[in-house]
Amino acid sequence: MEMAEKLLNEQIVEQIREVFTQLDQPVEVLFFGKKTDCDYCDDTLQLIQEIAAISDKLRLQQFDIEDDAVLAQQYNVDKVPGLVIAARDGDRIVDYGIRLAGIPSGHEFTSLIQDLLVVSSRDSGLSEETRQFLQDLEQPVLLQVFVTPT
Amino acid sequence: MALESPLVQAEMVEAMEFPDLSDRHRVSGVPQTTINDGAGHVVGAVPEDYLVEEIRRAITKPAKN
Repeated sequence: MEMAEKLLNEQIVEQIREVFTQLDQPVEVLFFGKKTDCDYCDDTLQLIQEIAAISDKLRLQQFDIEDDAVLAQQYNVDKVPGLVIAARDGDRIVDYGIRLAGIPSGHEFTSLIQDLLVVSSRDSGLSEETRQFLQDLEQPVLLQVFVTPT
Repeated sequence: MALESPLVQAEMVEAMEFPDLSDRHRVSGVPQTTINDGAGHVVGAVPEDYLVEEIRRAITKPAKN
């Protein structure tokens, strides 16, 4: 079988490699796909595989939202393609509740790279006031950020 | 924000791939941030304190429906 064509060209890979010099601690990416009725699962998986291959601080695990339904539920993944950007602390995966639904292309590609860097740094970069507000929360907050690729 | 609190989840959604959800939240401009399934929302890339205020408003007002 022919090798699938790369989604990221050499130039982009070099740029990402440069940005990834800022990666600090290990990041675990969980991919959730589905065998049928998922237009963007294959491309998203290939894309995240190519990105994960650029740095050894990134590790990718691949799941199926139906076959691995319990895990999907544990990580609150209800859409495919779905990505969870978690931290890896030794053998432990620390889920911060950061997810992406849909193929991360266009602007979302930048957001994905940014998410990887932030999770790797374990530092939100938010103000002291915001951090205090978030730490004082007593009820769940779900933020859904709707974006379009262009 | 999700990084700072175990109670916060942040999901980035590609609006065109999930039209039902986008329609339900009447996504017109992007980015649009929806808080707790419609209890609050913010359009545009707003300053951090603005989003905090909207979250505060969303979690203190009585739930819709």
